[in-house]
Amino acid sequence: MFEITRDTEGSVHLKGRFDAAQVANAKHVFSFVDDSCVVDFAELSYISSAGLGLLFATQKRLVDNGSALKLTNLNPHIREVFRIAGFDNIFEIDE
Amino acid sequence: MRKGFRREIDALDEIFRFLEDFVAEAAIDERDAFTINLVVEELFTNLVRHNNGGGESIDIDIEREGDDFHLELTDFDVEPFDPTSVPRPPLTSDIDERSPGGLGLHLVRTMVDDLSYEYEPKTRRMRVSVTKRLES
Repeated sequence: MFEITRDTEGSVHLKGRFDAAQVANAKHVFSFVDDSCVVDFAELSYISSAGLGLLFATQKRLVDNGSALKLTNLNPHIREVFRIAGFDNIFEIDE
Repeated sequence: MRKGFRREIDALDEIFRFLEDFVAEAAIDERDAFTINLVVEELFTNLVRHNNGGGESIDIDIEREGDDFHLELTDFDVEPFDPTSVPRPPLTSDIDERSPGGLGLHLVRTMVDDLSYEYEPKTRRMRVSVTKRLES
């Protein structure tokens, strides 16, 4: 199960398992992100390279406009995946 | 445990249920279970994407042997594709020099202890094998 929602302040909330089968759904939501915003991982239990790729593509698009994603509440396993991917310097990650 | 799965990204749900049964039965902890899920997903989706003309299913064989986890994915009637030869992506901090390509295999190579590949031209069968030392 995977859910992606935006709240009234524009923050994106991820929930469940963000695997390759969920990318189309998430891509639709991130396509409407055109300014700096928080991505809350509090209820996300899993992510693979497919999800990382979408976050990366969104970040790249935003950085070109002087904006950026800020990632927060990553569980230790997901945090480790970001570290191995070398994304520590690509994203601001709230520890 | 061994099972065949449809050569479709949408087979992932079924694969994760298969892995859930395995980690429970093999008493594997949450951290190792996360890694196993990730490794299987990355390798399975890689085979699906690179071997379009392949057979209908991909076999996944997993077992725990003491402190080691073993995984084999077998793909049938496919062209050779060696995931161990894919170059590692540059991990620079400059976003303009980065691309997400090759990230999945980079994660797999970093998280496991051994990744090997074999191809049998006569049967057009390829097999990707993984060994990982478990922490639980």
